[in-house]
Amino acid sequence: MKFPYCHHLHSSPDQKAPALEIQGLGVSYSSEDKFALKDFDISVPAGSSLALVGPNGAGKSTLFKAVCGLLPVRSGSIRVFGHPLGACHHRVVYLPQRSEIDWNFPISVLDLVVMGRYVYLGWFAKPQKNDIEIARHSLNEMNVLDLAHRQISKLSGGQQQRVLIARALAQNADLLLLDEPLNAVDVTTRQTVGDVLHKIKAQGKTVIVATHYYDQEEGRYDKAIFLKDGKKVEDANLHENTGHKDCDCP
Amino acid sequence: MIHYLTDPFQYIFIQRAVIAAVIIGVLCAALGTFVVLRRMAVVGHALTHSALPGLVIAYLLGGSLFAGALIATVVTALGIGFLARDESVYEDTLVGMVPNIMFAFGILLISTSRSFRDLFSMLFGNILGVTDGDLHLIMLIAAVSLLALFLFYKELKLFTVDPNYAKTIGLPVKAMHYGILLFLSFTVVVGIQAVGTVLTNALLVIPVAAARLLTDRLGRMMALSCVFAVFSAIGGIYLSYYFGSASGASIVMCASMIFAAAWGYKFFKKSMR
Repeated sequence: MKFPYCHHLHSSPDQKAPALEIQGLGVSYSSEDKFALKDFDISVPAGSSLALVGPNGAGKSTLFKAVCGLLPVRSGSIRVFGHPLGACHHRVVYLPQRSEIDWNFPISVLDLVVMGRYVYLGWFAKPQKNDIEIARHSLNEMNVLDLAHRQISKLSGGQQQRVLIARALAQNADLLLLDEPLNAVDVTTRQTVGDVLHKIKAQGKTVIVATHYYDQEEGRYDKAIFLKDGKKVEDANLHENTGHKDCDCP
Repeated sequence: MIHYLTDPFQYIFIQRAVIAAVIIGVLCAALGTFVVLRRMAVVGHALTHSALPGLVIAYLLGGSLFAGALIATVVTALGIGFLARDESVYEDTLVGMVPNIMFAFGILLISTSRSFRDLFSMLFGNILGVTDGDLHLIMLIAAVSLLALFLFYKELKLFTVDPNYAKTIGLPVKAMHYGILLFLSFTVVVGIQAVGTVLTNALLVIPVAAARLLTDRLGRMMALSCVFAVFSAIGGIYLSYYFGSASGASIVMCASMIFAAAWGYKFFKKSMR
């Protein structure tokens, strides 16, 4: 018997619907009038990859947090695989910026990655052999299986990032929201993350990456959206070669 | 030599005190692990001080001290959580402010009643005065709290290390926060019986801090904290028996000595590398 975390039943994705469809979205961090994201529209087809490009404070993380239910939606609507927010928890995974994790918490890397399986376990159930195996497989994908039993405070920045992505992989979600996965990481990590993103996309999953290092990553995405001060500045469909390559980034 | 260890146990009240102190110690250490890791040690401090007016009102009305303390701490815990929703007053400001108001209110009530007789045991505890009824209540609260910790261990772990991820997978993080505050209130009220309002926070924090120095695994840390709490509880009662010292303060001093030893061991190990 299962006791899921959310009162919503886990809905199966609507195969014909876009992975993410947002209309007229407005989000703010407090009840003040200043919107961190305003009148934002987007439709991301399932199986595609998208770069959200913009400087710090442009609204990239805000968008992710709204899609994950971490921030309340002040106006507009968000649909994930055709369902309203909350119905597809298990199908969406958010990779936070590294600074949002308590890296001094006394657990091992494997324990942290197994947490990616909790959404399937629900209340009272303990991780099973299968969950541990999936977590180990994800660590292997990110080339950090040898760190499985290391305490998380003893990881370098690049290793932390790979471990967090391994946790996201362990959730086996269909929509991945990755917030600055390549920020301040070493060349090896950059390469590994790039390869894994490629593999994920080949599996038919949807990937949205927030970045402000766009010029180095352009070839990886089907489309880019440029954000500034909480508003969409421009769309660039990269496969149609629009010629837009500039990013108003620091 | 062995009679020094067994002599105190010829008295029923000592037997009761040891059982109560061990249960309270284990409960404080187990819950204290999450209190420390969630950086809520100051909240524990706030709740312990907030119990005083509840104790005094119950004492003046001739009611249950336990119920008085419980109501005062639960109201404070939930009140801080509620007031903190207005972001213009930071939660740590409230945590620094509310307990002082409550503590002052408690002292004010005692001073107007002109009866300071039981103030000492309220402030510093009286584990040697535990009755059978108290013991049953302590056991009940400990059983419920430890069961909750066991059942929600996995979720508490995730909620502490990465609250945002916990929320994204549907965990009711607000309810969990209030739940921790509620169980913290129960634990504080039980702890007050042993070491009083002033020192209860020490039981929540010191054994955990000592354990954290020696291990970087959550399960081991919790187990070690409980062992340290048990040693502190029993050691404190022996000290109290043989030297006539205040039982609550003796328990806390034992815990402090364990912390000092753990710190010394870690420092020694580091310098040997």
